[in-house]
Amino acid sequence: MKSICEDISKLERRCPRLGGPVTFSYCRIAVENQNACFKIFDCWWERFDVVDYLQHQLSKEAFNHLRKMQPPDKTTTLVDLIRQAQQRTKS
Amino acid sequence: MAVKSVILPANEIPRQWYNILADIKMNPPLGPDGNPVKPEDLAPVFPMNIIEQEVSSQRWIDIPEPVLDVLAIWRPAPLTRADRLEKALGTPARIYFKYEGASPPGSHKPNTAVPQAYYNKVFGIENMTTETGAGQWGSALSFACALFGLTCKVFMVRISFDQKPYRKAMMETWGGKCIASPSTDTQAGRDALSRDPDTPGSLGIAISEAIEAAVSDPSGKTRYSLGSVLNHVMLHQTIIGLEAQKQMAMINEYPDIIIGCAGGGSNFAGLAFPFVQDKINGRQIEIYPVEPKACPTLTRAPFGYDHGDTARYTPLLPMHSLGHTFVPAPIHAGGLRYHGMAPAVSQLAHEGLITPKAVSQTEAFKAGILWARTEGVIPAPETTNALAQVIKEAELAKQEGKEKVIVFNFSGHGLLDLTGYEKYLAGGLSDFALSDEEMDKSTAVMANFPKPQDLKSTK
Repeated sequence: MKSICEDISKLERRCPRLGGPVTFSYCRIAVENQNACFKIFDCWWERFDVVDYLQHQLSKEAFNHLRKMQPPDKTTTLVDLIRQAQQRTKS
Repeated sequence: MAVKSVILPANEIPRQWYNILADIKMNPPLGPDGNPVKPEDLAPVFPMNIIEQEVSSQRWIDIPEPVLDVLAIWRPAPLTRADRLEKALGTPARIYFKYEGASPPGSHKPNTAVPQAYYNKVFGIENMTTETGAGQWGSALSFACALFGLTCKVFMVRISFDQKPYRKAMMETWGGKCIASPSTDTQAGRDALSRDPDTPGSLGIAISEAIEAAVSDPSGKTRYSLGSVLNHVMLHQTIIGLEAQKQMAMINEYPDIIIGCAGGGSNFAGLAFPFVQDKINGRQIEIYPVEPKACPTLTRAPFGYDHGDTARYTPLLPMHSLGHTFVPAPIHAGGLRYHGMAPAVSQLAHEGLITPKAVSQTEAFKAGILWARTEGVIPAPETTNALAQVIKEAELAKQEGKEKVIVFNFSGHGLLDLTGYEKYLAGGLSDFALSDEEMDKSTAVMANFPKPQDLKSTK
């Protein structure tokens, strides 16, 4: 039987953050450490029942974490990244 | 022949940006330690003249002459009547748009790339870095740096780098250096590659690389730039709305409705903020930032109703078997999703000065096609969100028999982003549905799929 998950993984749409086409499999791991993008529900819900799909695929903890995820304030992120970069440069 | 566009004379180009921070109150951004961010916290990546703009509450800020000299390549941008669209819709509404696609990179982005390059140059900076997804921002910054004699290094997310050779070519034609992220040029990139040599990359890695490249330059002559979200970017974009105000006055018109697509918020802010100032001062005007519709089964953001709409939120319909059309439940989502939106735009929504709207992917594509077949220019994909709302408002005006004046921002052309149209026209955006039984069977198959790790909170 054809793998359903392979079909879903290959679904493609334009990523509003990148500005170009990506597959669903990319959205699953688009953040560092293989985390899903916070927009995954909003981007895919019109194409298939992504909420139900991810509820099946993820642990309860991981799913709840993803559904509540919001990106931090940009300035906060920048300051954090600056400090991380300075640490990496020192070491 | 009817006059199609309102052309602002070159000597009438606005000479000051409008700073909305003079007229609204905002909470200061917090650092990872929970304390308000200080200007010196941003100094490793931004020159102090830009940081000053970021935190300024001065209402009008002069646009430097060298910046105006470059903007004059394509500005003032025309305000154009979409009379062919009006006719196609049979609407009494009068629809005008600011066309931002005439800039060399093809979008509104250089309105901030140019002043940012200038301010860095004046500050003594010689090199700029940034990240880009599919290349629109990287192109704009490469263009701006070329005109001010700065080098420009763009970390392009690998998945996009492989797909968008023409954007890379644009950047390099303007002298920019575009490299695929993660790269071996930074420790952040090397770390990512050591974890997964075949990684497609991410915006997070790309921004880490761009910031590291700026911070690690021992000469101190490298800084970082970004194209949306921050206050100074919104400030620079207000030249759009300031021109529009003058152009509307030239033809004795004033908008009833302002519309702009809202991703990071900069093109929306550019058109809308000067009109928000009018609204604060008592003018009657509706201002709509437009986003894609949010997922209805998640309650992460407040939902509202379209005006006059009494539809209810319902749970998603049960899935149909494979191959059948999946029909999302009717949903009307209001409230900006706050997902990476500019704080200033979010604040205005919170205060009720602007009213968020949402459109579906299909509505957006249909609007883009209709626009291309009436007004000619093929819109950038993000612009189609605004177009979808413009059409809704025009149709509402038709139902109401009202001659509403609609002004929207046409943020860019889509000539380098035609893949989406290609798929839409080929029927490639069809829905995909699974039965519950198939979902259960798929669980075992996915047992070895990478599970996400808990993210480190930055708050």
